[in-house]
Amino acid sequence: MQRLLAFIERDLRKFVRNPIVVGVSILMPIIYLVILGNSFQGELKNLPLVVVDRDNGPSARRVMELLRVVESGARTVTITVMADEGAAMTALREGECKAVLVIPSGFSRSVERNTVVELGIFLDNAETISAATLQAAVTRAVTQLKSGRVAVREERGRVLLRDVEIYRKIDYDQTLIPGVVIMAIFLGAMMTGAFNIVMDKFLGVDESYLLTPLTKMDMVVGLVVSGLLITTTLAVIVLVLGSLISGIYLWRMLTVPSAFYVLAVITLSTLGLQGLMFVIMGRINHPRIVGVLGGFLNVIFFFPSGAIYPVESFPSWLKAFALVNPESYSVHALRALFFKGAGLEAVKGDIVFLAGFAVCTIVAGIFAFKRTL
Amino acid sequence: MKPAIEIEGLVKKYGEITALDKVTVTIPEGDCFGLLGPNGAGKTTLIRILTTLLKPTVGTARIGGFDVVRQSADVRTVIGVVPQAMTSDLDLTGYETLDIYGRFYNMPSSDRRERIDELLSLVGLTERAGDLIATYSGGMRRRLEIARGLVHKPLILILDEPTIGLDPQSRHVVWELLEKFMKLDRLTILLTTHYMEEAESLCKHVAIIDYGRIVALDTVEGLKKQIPQKDVVEVTIANIAMEEAVKFARGLSAAPACASRDDVLIVSSDHGAEMIPVLVDGLKGLGAKVVRVILKEQTLEDVFIHYTGRPIREEEAKKVSFLLGAGIPTRLGR
Repeated sequence: MQRLLAFIERDLRKFVRNPIVVGVSILMPIIYLVILGNSFQGELKNLPLVVVDRDNGPSARRVMELLRVVESGARTVTITVMADEGAAMTALREGECKAVLVIPSGFSRSVERNTVVELGIFLDNAETISAATLQAAVTRAVTQLKSGRVAVREERGRVLLRDVEIYRKIDYDQTLIPGVVIMAIFLGAMMTGAFNIVMDKFLGVDESYLLTPLTKMDMVVGLVVSGLLITTTLAVIVLVLGSLISGIYLWRMLTVPSAFYVLAVITLSTLGLQGLMFVIMGRINHPRIVGVLGGFLNVIFFFPSGAIYPVESFPSWLKAFALVNPESYSVHALRALFFKGAGLEAVKGDIVFLAGFAVCTIVAGIFAFKRTL
Repeated sequence: MKPAIEIEGLVKKYGEITALDKVTVTIPEGDCFGLLGPNGAGKTTLIRILTTLLKPTVGTARIGGFDVVRQSADVRTVIGVVPQAMTSDLDLTGYETLDIYGRFYNMPSSDRRERIDELLSLVGLTERAGDLIATYSGGMRRRLEIARGLVHKPLILILDEPTIGLDPQSRHVVWELLEKFMKLDRLTILLTTHYMEEAESLCKHVAIIDYGRIVALDTVEGLKKQIPQKDVVEVTIANIAMEEAVKFARGLSAAPACASRDDVLIVSSDHGAEMIPVLVDGLKGLGAKVVRVILKEQTLEDVFIHYTGRPIREEEAKKVSFLLGAGIPTRLGR
């Protein structure tokens, strides 16, 4: 035990003497939260739309009014009115707007006569998400034009849907918090534990302690424990800062037991990833390879975790990967604990998986680690 | 005397390359044993096998009575090692390093503190013990690493080129330290070195290793006596052509080897002192002016070159992945 504690102390002392690493470990997930939260924001906004009104009749004016409501309300679009259809199409091709809506001449007359009317919308479909959003916004506005003239009650078969959210209102950047915590854990696991073995090999320092009575277990468990202490601390700091930035008050959302479960999920996720890093990096001897692997592993674990996009919407092969991805379970558990007020029953499956994953990877890491040069 | 290190028929192969070829050596307790050899001769491979970092392909080695393969954990408790490269953690202080390494050997805290203070004083680092190693000079780091190798009072200290890269002053300090520890702790020392002066000043016995084989093993004096023409006479001459002087010297039966360097005639002989008047008189008889005569004894370096050939040897090229460079798992590439 004295040897193990000495090895842990050696690693912790080296880490705290590199404060820049501590700072980057905290800042990176926070920057990720701020940038991703503000760039995605759930719904798209301020998409530039050019309207060419060749009708100038009452219905055309009504369409414009409805679009202006969208512009000032949900702010999905920013409207520019142009008289020349050719200039509008040039603007679309040159990327100055995302769509051109053409209201043809005779539009108001056709609406009055209740005949089939068509509006032309030209979309920049090189950006599919913007195109789909604009099409939906314009369609909603035009539908309201018709419903304004036809009483809803006379429209049989039409179903009105009133949505009821069962949890409190959650902003997009708040939904990123579990992912940001998991990212902090991943970064912590990358920069501690097995990475220190790689750096020791690279610097030639490993030879000095391989010559001592330290066992494989002393070294692997020692680095996992020091990595756990560092990473858990960083993840908790990131959780607190991220929550404050996104407007979540943890002390209101978490009960004492759920705070304990959050800590358990963070701890088990860290242990699992630390063990996994030993399996993957235990025999690598150059930090350049760790740099390449780090980016790759972050992508393959983080994006299929459900932190950004729901796992249910993945293609079947990616769903299968998500089933064995420890970060999927971490995100699921943290989301349930943060936003749904869930108890142990809701997250015990995640905790069991994460615990099993941690045990398997640490044992495999001890076997994979080579005690000779 | 009980052997501290027994090596019997040790072979180490890396694929087709034989790094060690049937090495057999016994080092008695209390000896200071030097292992000399050119680059790539197998010195570091042998040290790494003895220190349990590598496994031999064939053969056995016992350190302090423990087998290096089957009892590697026991071996590590009786040896102290100073590796060739500087291996101390730059982010730790000198004191922390010794304390942490003392704990790796399960030393009780009171013994540890006492030993660390003693060692820091002996290696002259007491004043700098609280500073980060990153602030130390190369000589200070080497002294600290010697102290680290001795913190647990090992029976055998193994040093792999301990003074490589150090300036002459630091090198002499390290030699003095090793002599001091040999007397104080009654250590057995095994060291590899490139510096003949180091081996001559520290070692009782020396083995020369080349291409993985022990080619000579004796005391320093014994080795010097093993090579023929142990004396060298250097005669600086003028007024006659060097070819004429060399031809004359070769005609002398007592001077079987001769060569020249600029205006210096170099004659090797078993009886250098007796050769001097014969050479001087003969050269004068040829019309030469004898400017200077020097009689030298062969050095350990001459012995080394006698057994290993050229003084500089290129090492075998290491295998490095074309795709990944040096950063790959060792088993795949090196």
